[in-house]
Amino acid sequence: MAILEIKHVSKFFGGLAANADVSFALEQGMIMGLIGPNGAGKTTLFNCITGYYPPSKGEVLFDGRRMNGLQPNKVCKLGMARTWQKVRPLAKLSVLDNVMVGALCRTNSLKIAGELAMEQLKVVRLEQKARFPAGGLPIGERKKLEVARVLATQPKLLLLDEVMGGLNPAESAEIIQLILDIKGRGITQMVIEHDMKAIMRISDRIVVLNSGEKLAEGNPHEVVSNPDVIAAYLGQD
Amino acid sequence: MTTLRTLFADTSGRSTVTIIAVLAVCAALCTVPFFVHNPYLLHIMILIFLSTIMGESWNILGGYTGQYSVGHAAYFGTGAYATMMMLQFRQVAPWYGVWVGLAAALVVALVIGSICFRLRGPYFVLASIAVAEILRLCTLNLPSFTNGAEGILATGLPPFTIGETVITDFSTKVPFYYIGLALALLTILVTWLVQHSKLGYFFQAIREDQDAAHSLGISLTLYKNIALVISAMLTSLAGSFYAIYVGFVDPPTVMALDISVQIVLICIIGGIGTIFGPVIGALVLVPLSEALRSNLIASLIFKIGLVSPDSKFGGFLNDNLAHAHTLIYGILVVIVILFMPDGILGFLKKLTARRKGGEA
Ligand SMILES: Nc1ncnc2c1ncn2[C@@H]1O[C@H](COP(=O)(O)OP(=O)(O)O)[C@@H](O)[C@H]1O
Ligand SMILES: [Mg+2]
Repeated sequence: MAILEIKHVSKFFGGLAANADVSFALEQGMIMGLIGPNGAGKTTLFNCITGYYPPSKGEVLFDGRRMNGLQPNKVCKLGMARTWQKVRPLAKLSVLDNVMVGALCRTNSLKIAGELAMEQLKVVRLEQKARFPAGGLPIGERKKLEVARVLATQPKLLLLDEVMGGLNPAESAEIIQLILDIKGRGITQMVIEHDMKAIMRISDRIVVLNSGEKLAEGNPHEVVSNPDVIAAYLGQD
Repeated sequence: MTTLRTLFADTSGRSTVTIIAVLAVCAALCTVPFFVHNPYLLHIMILIFLSTIMGESWNILGGYTGQYSVGHAAYFGTGAYATMMMLQFRQVAPWYGVWVGLAAALVVALVIGSICFRLRGPYFVLASIAVAEILRLCTLNLPSFTNGAEGILATGLPPFTIGETVITDFSTKVPFYYIGLALALLTILVTWLVQHSKLGYFFQAIREDQDAAHSLGISLTLYKNIALVISAMLTSLAGSFYAIYVGFVDPPTVMALDISVQIVLICIIGGIGTIFGPVIGALVLVPLSEALRSNLIASLIFKIGLVSPDSKFGGFLNDNLAHAHTLIYGILVVIVILFMPDGILGFLKKLTARRKGGEA
């Protein structure tokens, strides 16, 4: 069953089509890789899906429900959560408080939220830093905090926007394992990533965007052997 | 910053100490009128309470939720006018009139919120100023309703009675002292409750990053408006209290921009987004502005013999220092903001943290 369906989504910024007639579907429980050169429209697509702004054309169906025009907070409540490519820690709050804000999406009790948040911090191995102000974390830990915070909202579908960007190989490996663990918990994921090796390893399916359009879709093997994809990536260099 | 969590859970020891300290200070403050009979001193204390109420109220919207309203005179004026109009035009006692003020402030807040919360950052600030100015101009220009520029003078307060017993007839400053103290404690309590609830988390999330908060399931419109309504209603209480204490309201004294600025300064000077920041702000700003206004500085300079009052320069100081009090006040405020960006409370916390760090 498709948990997310993108149907003919376009997004225009003035004359620029950041997304042009993009369609694909996401099956329950799988990891979808979303790749493409810088400026291909990947983040814009996330923004359209999660209600940050409405698509100019087309529609987004989540669990069969039309999402167009829903505010991001409603989208989150319905079970779809996203991280930000440019991380957005709540700088003056502690790491634990950051994750608690996510957990409070589902409960009114600070006590339950605190326990839930601590659990998620253990999942990303940040529990040692629970009392630190989030603004003081190095980039690798900020990325982990983003993931812990959205996990605390108990999503069915998780959209990860370059959570490995700017990380060293050891940190990236940790995140890859984390994404596979999340899949093990039955949470569907869509992952934007530049590291081709990582995306090949974790994705069940891959969608390639180029200049806002969908260039290719298929399993990792099909996608890397697609001549259009090779041309797009070589053309960029 | 002390995070919610550290105050709440694992350092309950420190939290208990704070509560005991607050209770002790309250008890001490309750006894003050028994041995302080100087009306001027009581007046200063009442002004400190008033500033605390105003600061704590603003702090919920500005300090915790990060929505820098510079139009809180609108709510102060609404409370002050509602109470006064009920008293003078309808012969309703202020302790009932206050509720009219609260209801009016609620309505004004929701109207202002629906206009200003469409905007973010500096645009929100400008809109909050503009809307408050509109309210002031309406008050000024509807004389049949508000008495316009003439203002409203209270011709006397009815005695406060419970059953047949007269509790007070408001002939001294003492009842106002206790009302001010009670209201100041109320606003501190409300702030404490907010900080230790889901509301506090959501308010601060909105302050730190609106888009992140939104994507984590927080309705920006709903929670900004909740913060505004709490803030506006408490500010209206401050206005009502001011009105019955001073016994006179007119647009420049309860609705003007400088009141809005004054409210913000109390928090900035004391420490924004903290429970006791506004208390510190009030403790510093009220005596400071009183000292400047009453020319205490000039007399101090003469007393320590820095300048003779008979000299030409002394005469100049004597004549002009009192008039320059807003200027000096402004300069001092700028100095504090430059050197203590987190307010006095933040500065003290940093000092103690540094000392602890040095010992370790
Ligand atoms: N808010 C916006 N206003 C105008 N142009 C935008 C906006 N957001 C993105 N764009 C443009 O849309 C294109 C796609 O951007 P983006 O989705 O961030 O790409 P990617 O995430 O794939 O690197 C880029 O050309 C970018 O400059
Ligand atoms: Mg991007």
